[in-house]
Amino acid sequence: MKRVGIVALNTFREAVRDRVLYNLVFFALLMMLAAVVVGQISIGIEESVIVSLGLSAISVIGLLISVFIGVALVSKEMEKRTLYALLAKPVRRWEFLLGKFGGLLLTLAVNTAAMAAGLFLVMLYVKHSLQPSDAVVLVAVYFIWLKLALIVALALLFSCYTTPLLALLFTSGLYIVGLYVQELRDLPAQVMSPAMVAFTKWLSYLLPNFENFNVMAMAAHGRAVPGTLILQNTLYAVIYCAIVLTCAAAVFSRKSLK
Amino acid sequence: MALLLMLVLPLGFAGIWRLQHSIDSQLASVSQDRDDILLRSGKLVKWLSLEYAPLMADIYWTRVVQYYGNKHVRGQANLDLLWPLLDITTTLDPNLIVAYRFGAMFLSQAPPAGAGRPDQAVELIRRGIQANPDYWRLYEDLGFVYYTDLKDYQKASEAFLEGSKKPDAQLWMKVMAAKIAADGESFSTSMFLWKDIYESTSDPLIKKNALSRLKLLRAQEDCKQLDALADEYAKRNGRRPARMSDLVQAGLLPGIPKDPEGFVYVFGGEGRVELNLDSPLLEQQLLLERYDKVLPR
Repeated sequence: MKRVGIVALNTFREAVRDRVLYNLVFFALLMMLAAVVVGQISIGIEESVIVSLGLSAISVIGLLISVFIGVALVSKEMEKRTLYALLAKPVRRWEFLLGKFGGLLLTLAVNTAAMAAGLFLVMLYVKHSLQPSDAVVLVAVYFIWLKLALIVALALLFSCYTTPLLALLFTSGLYIVGLYVQELRDLPAQVMSPAMVAFTKWLSYLLPNFENFNVMAMAAHGRAVPGTLILQNTLYAVIYCAIVLTCAAAVFSRKSLK
Repeated sequence: MALLLMLVLPLGFAGIWRLQHSIDSQLASVSQDRDDILLRSGKLVKWLSLEYAPLMADIYWTRVVQYYGNKHVRGQANLDLLWPLLDITTTLDPNLIVAYRFGAMFLSQAPPAGAGRPDQAVELIRRGIQANPDYWRLYEDLGFVYYTDLKDYQKASEAFLEGSKKPDAQLWMKVMAAKIAADGESFSTSMFLWKDIYESTSDPLIKKNALSRLKLLRAQEDCKQLDALADEYAKRNGRRPARMSDLVQAGLLPGIPKDPEGFVYVFGGEGRVELNLDSPLLEQQLLLERYDKVLPR
């Protein structure tokens, strides 16, 4: 586990060196602009738009980082030939993968936490005080992070057996499909054959359901998220990530690195 | 090189600035002022919004406010896009209370203050109640539209009564339900409802409109009372007064009465008290009367 930690820490350091955290400046500027402008051009949504915009920005920035860096985690090491030097040491392939996953997750956690802190500062500026009900925003941020963890795991899996460009397309595609899982379940059964109905239902449970993590509307209106849902979503993300990473480790361990 | 840049940059951008202005005026002369929304289906917009529907709802709500505000400033009564925009906004975020409350106000008001569609306002509020059944203010808004715009006092009373049963509802909701059921339209009820709108809104346009409605109500009540005094004068003198000073000289009034805008009331052709021709309230009164005649209830 120590070896995993070392790889993770180095991945985090590399991300910082690559100026990944510079996006925080963009986030800060966006939030400051929104805080000033929204009150002037709209009515009665100053608070909710700050939360919606802040959470959407955290989600979009996180998505870009997880997809673009996630698909390059393995391929970059192979291109720079650093992977060979690393695997020559007593580091197993799955440990390398898990370390890479942990490192990017740590980067995302730092990034997301910094943006969440910024969001709370802007909320404080707009509302002049924070209420206990604002804690729901933290839950929403935590759910975004869980979603990003799942996306990183998927990006890592795809990057283990295909090119970065295809891995990027597969990950983005699966993310978009994962937002419409409920629609897949709601397809009109009367116009489909029983086999098709069974297939779409089976598929809808197999695909990652990213809509599970979407509590932005609740956060924007200060409505509490049930504790059970927090627990269920955490378990869902942990189990799904474990499945995907196991698959990724299996693929990567058989991958020819010549 | 640096000197050249210092010369080229300001001169170049100054040229661009001027050119863009002439392009803008050229385009304005050839294109018509056209309002449109590309997607009218709220469900489709929600589907396309991925997981960012709440943010899209805020953007659409801002568009509603901008659309209404621009039309209001230009004095244009055509608010055809108001309903589709509100429909998309509330489909994207069914809990965006402000869209139901202000949206209903924009829809129900008589032109040019609103779209003159109280039927759509009722539909919007009912949709809001369905999504937010415990929010009592929506029942107040529903009762208000029935009372003020549709003059359906039975339904207005029912809405206030239903709202009074919701958590955190103000006590006056029940009183209002009983009063409207018993009296129908009355000066004190109308004053109370418009005063509540005036005090509870933060929007300057709605505040201004509520204030002018309050002034108009005051003026209408003044006219009624002055007519009663004129009747009294006629009883005493066998003829109706010709001017306000007659009532003052007869000791029926302490001074010349003025409307809330500071204009003296006058007697019209039939000897009834009317607003002064110079009073801005007169234009508003005429608009409301025209709206009452034109719109089917």
